[in-house]
Amino acid sequence: MNAKLPKWPLLFLRWFCREDYLDEIEGDLTEIFHRQQHSPAKARRQFLFNVLKHFRPEFMRSINLKPQYNYKAMIRNYFKTSFRNLTRNKGYAFINIAGLATGIAVCMMIFIIIQYQTSFDAFHPKKDRAYRVLTEYHHEGAANITYDKSVPYPMPVGLKANFPAIAEIAPVFASHNDELIVAVDNNAPQKHFKEERGLFFTDPSFFNIFNFPLLAGSYGSLKDRNTVLLTKEIAEKYFGDWKLAMGNTLKLQSGGFMFDHSTEVLKVTGILATIPANTDFQVKLVVSMRTSYLGTLMKESTTWNEAAPDFGCYILLSPNTSAGNFNQQLSAYAKKVKSAENKDNYIIQAVNDIHYDTQTGNYSNKAISHQLLNVLWLIAAFILAIACVNFINLSTAQAVNRSKEVGVRKVLGSNKFQLQIQFIVETFLIVMIAVILAAGITFVTMPYINRLLELSLSFSILNSSTIILFLVAVTVAVTVLAGFYPSVVLSRFNPITALKSKLAAGTTKGISLRRGLVVFQFIIAQSLIIGTLIIVKQMDYFINQPLGFDKDAVVNVPYRIDSIRISKMDYIKHQLLSINGVQAVSFSSNTPVEDANDTWSTLKFNHDIKEEDFKAITKFADEEYVPAYKLTLIAGRNLQPSKMTREFLVNESLMKSLGITNPDDILNKEISIWNGNIKCPVVGVLKDFNNRSFRNSPAPLLIATNVTMYNQATIKLATTNIPATMQAIKNLWEQTLPGFVFESRFLDDKIESFYKQENQLAQLYKIFAAIAIFLSCLGLYGLASFMAVQRVKEVGIRKVLGASTAGIVYLFTKEFVILIAIAFAIATPIAWYYMHTWLQDYVYRITISWWVFVAGGLAAIIIALTTISFQAIKAARANPVKSLRTE
Amino acid sequence: MKHHSIGEFEELVLLSVAALHGEAYGVSIQESLIEKLSKNINISAVHVALKRMEDKGFVRSRFGGITEDRGGRRKKYYVITAIGKRILDNQYELRTSLYKMIPKISFGR
Repeated sequence: MNAKLPKWPLLFLRWFCREDYLDEIEGDLTEIFHRQQHSPAKARRQFLFNVLKHFRPEFMRSINLKPQYNYKAMIRNYFKTSFRNLTRNKGYAFINIAGLATGIAVCMMIFIIIQYQTSFDAFHPKKDRAYRVLTEYHHEGAANITYDKSVPYPMPVGLKANFPAIAEIAPVFASHNDELIVAVDNNAPQKHFKEERGLFFTDPSFFNIFNFPLLAGSYGSLKDRNTVLLTKEIAEKYFGDWKLAMGNTLKLQSGGFMFDHSTEVLKVTGILATIPANTDFQVKLVVSMRTSYLGTLMKESTTWNEAAPDFGCYILLSPNTSAGNFNQQLSAYAKKVKSAENKDNYIIQAVNDIHYDTQTGNYSNKAISHQLLNVLWLIAAFILAIACVNFINLSTAQAVNRSKEVGVRKVLGSNKFQLQIQFIVETFLIVMIAVILAAGITFVTMPYINRLLELSLSFSILNSSTIILFLVAVTVAVTVLAGFYPSVVLSRFNPITALKSKLAAGTTKGISLRRGLVVFQFIIAQSLIIGTLIIVKQMDYFINQPLGFDKDAVVNVPYRIDSIRISKMDYIKHQLLSINGVQAVSFSSNTPVEDANDTWSTLKFNHDIKEEDFKAITKFADEEYVPAYKLTLIAGRNLQPSKMTREFLVNESLMKSLGITNPDDILNKEISIWNGNIKCPVVGVLKDFNNRSFRNSPAPLLIATNVTMYNQATIKLATTNIPATMQAIKNLWEQTLPGFVFESRFLDDKIESFYKQENQLAQLYKIFAAIAIFLSCLGLYGLASFMAVQRVKEVGIRKVLGASTAGIVYLFTKEFVILIAIAFAIATPIAWYYMHTWLQDYVYRITISWWVFVAGGLAAIIIALTTISFQAIKAARANPVKSLRTE
Repeated sequence: MKHHSIGEFEELVLLSVAALHGEAYGVSIQESLIEKLSKNINISAVHVALKRMEDKGFVRSRFGGITEDRGGRRKKYYVITAIGKRILDNQYELRTSLYKMIPKISFGR
């Protein structure tokens, strides 16, 4: 019988069978196999069958086949050796822990920021069905579509009547710069307050869509005229105690909206609980929609063609209504109600998306784009990766030192798996310390981050289960990321070579991986440096770019017009001009450049029947506006003083949009806006100036006089002694109008605020770039110091043979400079591509010049060299006798 | 001694071990059983019975020499212990005494 035993059943038997039974069982089976008289195939089947029959518990190896360990003691031992190792290598431990703690702290802060940002308006129970209606403007050329949160007055009533899918509909009028007068009782003196934002006109259905609980009173009271709900904070500010506010009255002066300037007496019929910070509806006062004639306007207006500024519409769809379907119906409806030439459309936007819509904006001006959130995630991941890379590099570099330990452990019977566990435990210990430290860092730096980003973040580990979850996840992830590779490398050592100390030369593979990781770190660090330089340059460009008008030493004072104030205007102007240091005074609807507060109008030119297919920013201003802002006229003349609207000034863009090239051709032609309510001739053409932020190019512009539309005073100051002049201006105002809450804002500050997000981004990038380069250098420092120790004998011999200090420093730095150069070569195109894409958002943008990259690369190299050279010089200056004395 | 019970198949195997005294190992036990019982018995059943009885102390085992046809694996020889013998005696007595209690029954027509 020469038949061979079947291989796989035999291997299977040997795999599962107990060692002490194997002789007997395998022997017996083999004997039976060879004694068989059957065909080889049947014999093999028989053998397999017999093996399978033996596959039963009593013959199997115990699962715990290794000798029984005392696991408790082993784990205690892991921690003990880890701790000893940390205290022995204090320098490395410090670098590792500091690096990881910084990385984790950055990660945690970004996590908290993102968590906060994504929590906006997520607390409304019906948020999945809540939408806001947007006006979709179709400008010249089909590609140019913009969205506006303003809608026409008749929309809420119209939609409610025509769309059964709407469960609730809430018109919202967001007022601004409201003045409020409060007298707790008849005898008490009146107190004046001013709210820049936060006064909303709406009706009870708003609270059926959004969840803002009441402390007292009822939402239903908003059905009546002249009722108001206050938030707890506002009630306390106005009345001292919110319980006192209930049933009391306050006067809303010159509040409301454009056309209404009367003083309304409002009765407090409810107190809203504190409005959470994470909502874009930063409500302070909620006034009933029926107050004054806004309600009437909503019912009776038929001007579908114009969106009413600050007038928005929010809806709650009934369950199981798809937004896509609704939008189609809405488009059809828009076509029906609008005039034929008006191509604008309406679209609904989920309330959940409002916070991420930076283009359209919201009531809190806190929108943040998804893109920015993703960039933040990316940066968090990268910085954590840099920290992990440091750890990996240092621990694999140190591996040589620990080869003896590994050798001895292996000789004493430790296996690979146990060694890996030991190194993972060591990593875990370091990560734990780093996480605790990171929590401390986050706690301490949170106020600064809050101030920088104008957020109100809180860091409370105990209150937030997500933070705890995050910390656990980070601990596990970092332990695995940073600990796995070194543990594999360390446990792989062959004990014989390890004990013969032949490992000192190091494996080339490990070094090349280490090089790769250093390159990776510096790619990230350099990309961030280059990105930061470009953002900062772009910011400088914004701030210093000529706007086409004068913004220096210009102060704006909000001044809403009412019947009394109209009569005082001339007096104030006169008195202001007599103050020393005041050069010009003008009243106007707003400043030459606005971010979102402009009125856009469609217009008919030169008695055309059809409306033009573009919209023009419409500003109202007196005759002093042009000289006060030093606007340049290229044709015609300035406006003549008038309280009514009699003449238009236009800008070049408007002229070009009409297809006119010669400015003189447009003079004395008639322009009609607002359904023909205003019809006036053009008297002058202004040179284009930036009437929008630098993200956009100048828009068509109309300027006309009209006293009732003025909202603010512009005061041009001499640049000397501004504080004294400001004080005199304030005094004048308060004497002329008792109770007037004087506020002022310099125009350049306001313009800077348009670029707040860019500024914050630039600040963040600066911090992140600094941290990235700090972490990378920390790693380099560790590597360099390690190399210095490793090569101490080599350096000694080189010095004995006559090497100079400079030569040895060169030896040490050469390799790192090459690595950083490689990183630079990779980082440059990445940074260029990303920043180029970012700049495309701006019509006015810098060109990315080569020196930015050179500066970024040089900065990285210089910082890295400084880090390394410290160690290199120390090694090079060491006395060779000391290093060579012992062997 | 905890386990004094013995199963039917175990008893057969134990009898074979006793009968093959000194020459009892897996394959020889299996063969003698197949021969006596005239039915196929799987080797794994023999192994299981032997292990159980070794645990109970009915048999003892020792390793034998290596033979060529076993692929270099040693034989494991089993011999019956005093306890095993007593168990067999008990079983035998039990059966005989029970058998003797059978009254004379005629199955004739």
